[in-house]
Amino acid sequence: MSINLDQALQTFIVEAHELLQVMEQSLLQLETEPADQDAIGAIFRAAHTIKGSAGLFGLNPVVSFTHIVEDVLDRLRDGSVAVDSRLIAVLLKCGDHMLELINVVASRGEPLQPAALEREAALREALSTYQAPHHTPDTGAQHTEAGAADRANAPAEVLWHISLRFGVDVFRNGMDPLSFLRYLETLGQITQVTTLTDSIPALDSWDPESCYLGFEIELRSTASHATLNEVFDFVRDDCDVHIDAIDEASDSAVSIGSELVAQAEQGPLTASVQRLPAASEPKTRDGNYVRVNADKLDELINLVGELVIASAGASLLARSCNNDPLQEATSTVSGLVEEILDGALHLRMIPIGDTFNRFRRVVRDISQELGKDIELTISGAETELDKTVVEKIGDPLMHLLRNAMDHGIESADARRAAGKAGKGHLSLNAYHDSGSIVIEIADDGNGLNRERILEKAQERGLVASGAVLSDQEIYNLIFEPGFSTAEAVTNLSGRGVGMDVVKRNITLLRGTVDLDSRPGQGTVVRIRLPLTLAIINGFLVGIDTSTYVIPLDMVQECIELDEHQRQSSREKGYLDLRGEVLPLVDLREHFSHEGSAGRRQNVVVVRYAEHKAGLVVDDLLGEFQTVIKPLGKLFGALRGISGSTILGSGAVALILDVPALLNQIVQLEARTPQAPYSPTVVAR
Amino acid sequence: MGAVTTTRQTAVAVDEDAQYLTFMLGGEMFAIGILGIKEIIEYGSLTVVPMMPAFVRGVINLRGAVVPVVDLSARFGRANSAITRRSCVIIIEASTEEGQAQDIGLLVDTVSAVQEIPSSQIEPPPSFGARIRSDFISGMAKVDGKFVIVLDVDNVLSIDEMSSLAEAGQAPALDLDPR
Repeated sequence: MSINLDQALQTFIVEAHELLQVMEQSLLQLETEPADQDAIGAIFRAAHTIKGSAGLFGLNPVVSFTHIVEDVLDRLRDGSVAVDSRLIAVLLKCGDHMLELINVVASRGEPLQPAALEREAALREALSTYQAPHHTPDTGAQHTEAGAADRANAPAEVLWHISLRFGVDVFRNGMDPLSFLRYLETLGQITQVTTLTDSIPALDSWDPESCYLGFEIELRSTASHATLNEVFDFVRDDCDVHIDAIDEASDSAVSIGSELVAQAEQGPLTASVQRLPAASEPKTRDGNYVRVNADKLDELINLVGELVIASAGASLLARSCNNDPLQEATSTVSGLVEEILDGALHLRMIPIGDTFNRFRRVVRDISQELGKDIELTISGAETELDKTVVEKIGDPLMHLLRNAMDHGIESADARRAAGKAGKGHLSLNAYHDSGSIVIEIADDGNGLNRERILEKAQERGLVASGAVLSDQEIYNLIFEPGFSTAEAVTNLSGRGVGMDVVKRNITLLRGTVDLDSRPGQGTVVRIRLPLTLAIINGFLVGIDTSTYVIPLDMVQECIELDEHQRQSSREKGYLDLRGEVLPLVDLREHFSHEGSAGRRQNVVVVRYAEHKAGLVVDDLLGEFQTVIKPLGKLFGALRGISGSTILGSGAVALILDVPALLNQIVQLEARTPQAPYSPTVVAR
Repeated sequence: MGAVTTTRQTAVAVDEDAQYLTFMLGGEMFAIGILGIKEIIEYGSLTVVPMMPAFVRGVINLRGAVVPVVDLSARFGRANSAITRRSCVIIIEASTEEGQAQDIGLLVDTVSAVQEIPSSQIEPPPSFGARIRSDFISGMAKVDGKFVIVLDVDNVLSIDEMSSLAEAGQAPALDLDPR
């Protein structure tokens, strides 16, 4: 049997990255709660697993360094080293170094750069102060045979509660329940045994070959959970075994035991786990997950997209041939296909929490660098969104966070002077809101300086002097290109990218960003993103024989254009919409469709940012969930159309890019030299 | 792009058994090497993409993929081809300068045959006189005593050139910056 080592190595690298992330998170957790044993355990396990797997691949640089880290962590676990901020800082750096080791040594197969080796030496030096003077196997000497996995565990004695229910067939399978108790005795000291006889039936139905016994055992032992578990390997199939550590300080062991017995009398025996303090086993990430290559998922989703189109086509055909059973069959198929589509799209959805958690470290590091005390609060981490979006939102978020920390939150002294707590607060929040996801980055800093922004914007010609703008509009000016944060709001160094890049990246994801600020109280940046990039809800309109899709979230209303209105709007180029001037765009003309307009025309009122316009079309064809297909490079220069989709009929429909379309028209109007307000677009 | 063309031509020169697809366009016969051809389909429902130059006829749905269709006649600077019962779309895999492949449909009047043309039968392109751009022609093949223009598909369907033409068509909208 040969193992594909390359593939296994890839898996190792991916896993190691995840483990390092877990380690980092746990370290940060430990920083706030130094007594958190779970966190220490998680860190240790991460390092231990990485070391073990790296050993399998013969990645000696990884093994030798991780070994030292593990040593220190082991001492941390048994309490001979105390958690302090210096140790955490060192361990965080160790995590970084392990990441580098894995990236360089495992992924690329190269030796480390001298600079990295220097760092490693420094880290080894720092770690050595925490290492034991000699490697003394002072405790647990009698259990050395238990293997590496056990040595890893704390040698301290633990009081275990073992709740054991033998199956009826134990005797028939040649097992003797008592032998297990005897074996347990070799592992530690059994302090209490309660025999449960309540499942023994009445005498006439008693089968002498069946076992009806159960035991509640208290065992004081240095053995690990795994070792104890192994004891029952032979009878695991037909027995009910629960092994839990008892926190002696808080609960009286006796009371738990009796509670369990009481419970046992009532019937089902499986509930015992819930009553006991949580076992030390990690239950966080080990759900039933299957690791799937993202490409395969994409392929599947593409296929499902086509399936949707094909089934819509089949339904259409079925409807045309007047065959009821056939129609019913196709409609069942369509229903199922839609469910498959939903399911397939959900496969790509991942919680944003991982991205958020990465920022804990960033916030910690930057706040130290800036000498500010900043706390990050994360909420809504379980909010799910498309994987592609999650991947691409990281950088803009990072930039916004840095900005908030750098420019938003004041120094502790300034904060106290302003009557605020010295500790700055930064919060990241995510939630779903009507088909999109909203990510909020809020700080309780000084807020934006409205006057400075306006002044700067006027200086740069972004705003005409004397223009009256709302606060909101002024704040959003910082997203304009050419409005560099570096020179504008504060004098702190810029980072090369301005907020316009943030905005552009978000716009590329078909999202929007806006900003709210209160002087002295802080700033909130809200990013609104679509849940998925692959599908939009569209509104179908017909012009001539062509069909266009308008993204539904931009459609405000539809109105019919009667003959009289058509005449007047054609002359004026705008429409009186309940006393409001609504500029019209005749799409037929704009897209140079040949032939004259149909008898009836409709206006779709669209809105994007501050623009509101009416698109004149022939037919309104209703809503349609649209799988977006990019048009390719040939159409790269095409403005006003963002992509295409395939309709149920098999025809291709083009998706309108409303913001670009409106901008294009605004520009066209601006070019026309005559009157300042001229309805060129329509009246030409 | 030039490098690609050269390799292709040398490959043709070496390979004696190069096969070509011949087709008719405006009464004239043309040929293209079959290696880049993925399939030939009947001209069906096509969606016009507005604001594109005349040679971009529109897009079609090719089993779920959206494929642009180029009107070869318009690409040669002539009138758009009239659609007849025998109009066909030849699907060709074209590549951009960055080496990405994209399928493009080529609208022609009729397809004729797949023929083997020995390289000895292919003359270098004339510098003028063929009434289409000389860089579109990779050679003049003699088939049944008549000359057939062998097209240089890479140049005819250069996505970079076509998209920059499309951009030029939009140019008025481009330099419209209000300032």
